[in-house]
Amino acid sequence: MNNDLPVSLLVAAFTGAVMLLLPHISPRRYFFAITVPPGFPSSPAGRTSLRRYYSAVVCSIVISVVTLLELDRWSGPVLPAVAMLAPSILGMLAYLFERYHVAQVAPRPDPVRVVELSSDDDRLPRWIALMLPPFVFPIATAAWLRARWNEIPTRFAIHWNGHDIADRFAGKTPRAVYGPLLFCGGMMLVMILLTLATFYGSRRGRQRTAIVKMMVATIYVIAALFSVIAILPIAPFRPSMLLIPGVLFSALLLIWVIRVLRDPSMPVDRTPDDCWYLGSIYINAKDPAIFVQRRIGFGYTINMGNRLAWMLMGGFAAAFLGLVFTLPR
Amino acid sequence: MPPLAKIRIDLTSQVPAYRQIVDELRVLLVEGSLPPGSDLPSVRRLAMELGIHFNTVGEAYRTLAEEGWLDLRHGRSAKVIARGAQSAASPERVQEFRTQLRNLVAQMRAAGVPRSRIAAELRSTLEGLNP
Repeated sequence: MNNDLPVSLLVAAFTGAVMLLLPHISPRRYFFAITVPPGFPSSPAGRTSLRRYYSAVVCSIVISVVTLLELDRWSGPVLPAVAMLAPSILGMLAYLFERYHVAQVAPRPDPVRVVELSSDDDRLPRWIALMLPPFVFPIATAAWLRARWNEIPTRFAIHWNGHDIADRFAGKTPRAVYGPLLFCGGMMLVMILLTLATFYGSRRGRQRTAIVKMMVATIYVIAALFSVIAILPIAPFRPSMLLIPGVLFSALLLIWVIRVLRDPSMPVDRTPDDCWYLGSIYINAKDPAIFVQRRIGFGYTINMGNRLAWMLMGGFAAAFLGLVFTLPR
Repeated sequence: MPPLAKIRIDLTSQVPAYRQIVDELRVLLVEGSLPPGSDLPSVRRLAMELGIHFNTVGEAYRTLAEEGWLDLRHGRSAKVIARGAQSAASPERVQEFRTQLRNLVAQMRAAGVPRSRIAAELRSTLEGLNP
């Protein structure tokens, strides 16, 4: 048996499971990324769509598994990779087919927009200042490393393989020692700017507050993780241990996101269905919002019809690329 | 705490969005739901919430500022101001309103609304608008 077969089967099963869950990991008012009235998913038309979608995804998983088992006798990397990705590719095609179908049968959303004439929600919440204290982590770590400069070995590991064995090293230079902390500080600054951009560039609502809270929590995790990474040259613990808080935080985040998504009182961003492409790309030059609520999954996506959104994303991408160069290599 | 004033616009209506905003806001201003001193959302924020262009909201705010309802200062949100006593409308303007009112009443009659109901609606609307 090919050594890669179990991994390929696992990937196929996992992506298949994600595809099966896809219609349920969206805000409640969207069904296959189309705005629908409450109760539509449990209507006969909605149930038919779901049934057809599930059948297609299950078929794609079966095709993938059977093909992978059959191809095991043959060599070559391309066909197994295609077979492994079949659930995601075929599942996405089935999703888009159902999206098209739901758009035909679902009642058109109400074109009336109602807005509260208050300027209260336009001010940043005070608790956003909680994004500043985590800067103490990298600063304190840098001071701690400086005080123990002599304890840092002249050559230390900067990368480890899956078995916790170091496979890349760097010399003891300020860039190598403080690089992760610089990267961390830069990332935190970018996150603060992204949070401000999200707050001012998206519509009011509980989702906006939820996202901002998530960013505040994430900045603490980033600050703590990179501070620990920075002390690895002189800290006697296994780097793989760092995965535990990361995975734990991601799991907690996922549970929280699902709870938020399933909350029936969570309002939706009323973007026009016609401006969404493939269920996840929003292009609307008439909409001044830079960030809009995603229709698949949780969070925001950019309005690609807004020039400011492109400039902003270009700036963030450039900042991120610049930060990558601060890392030791 | 009094309920927050809201405006609603219909994006599929044949009435331009700018006109709908002006009309909705004027009703709230006349009936006192937005008293002097109230802060309105900034042009940018209201445009974003409604999903329409900034200029549309800007034009609506400017129209109301010209009518003496709003104070627009650059970089600040629009503020409702106390409107001084207005001179009586010119005969031409009154004639314009009369035409609009006739059209509206004719539409209501054509839609089958009885005369007594139209009279009651006009009375209650007039009583609902404070000044």
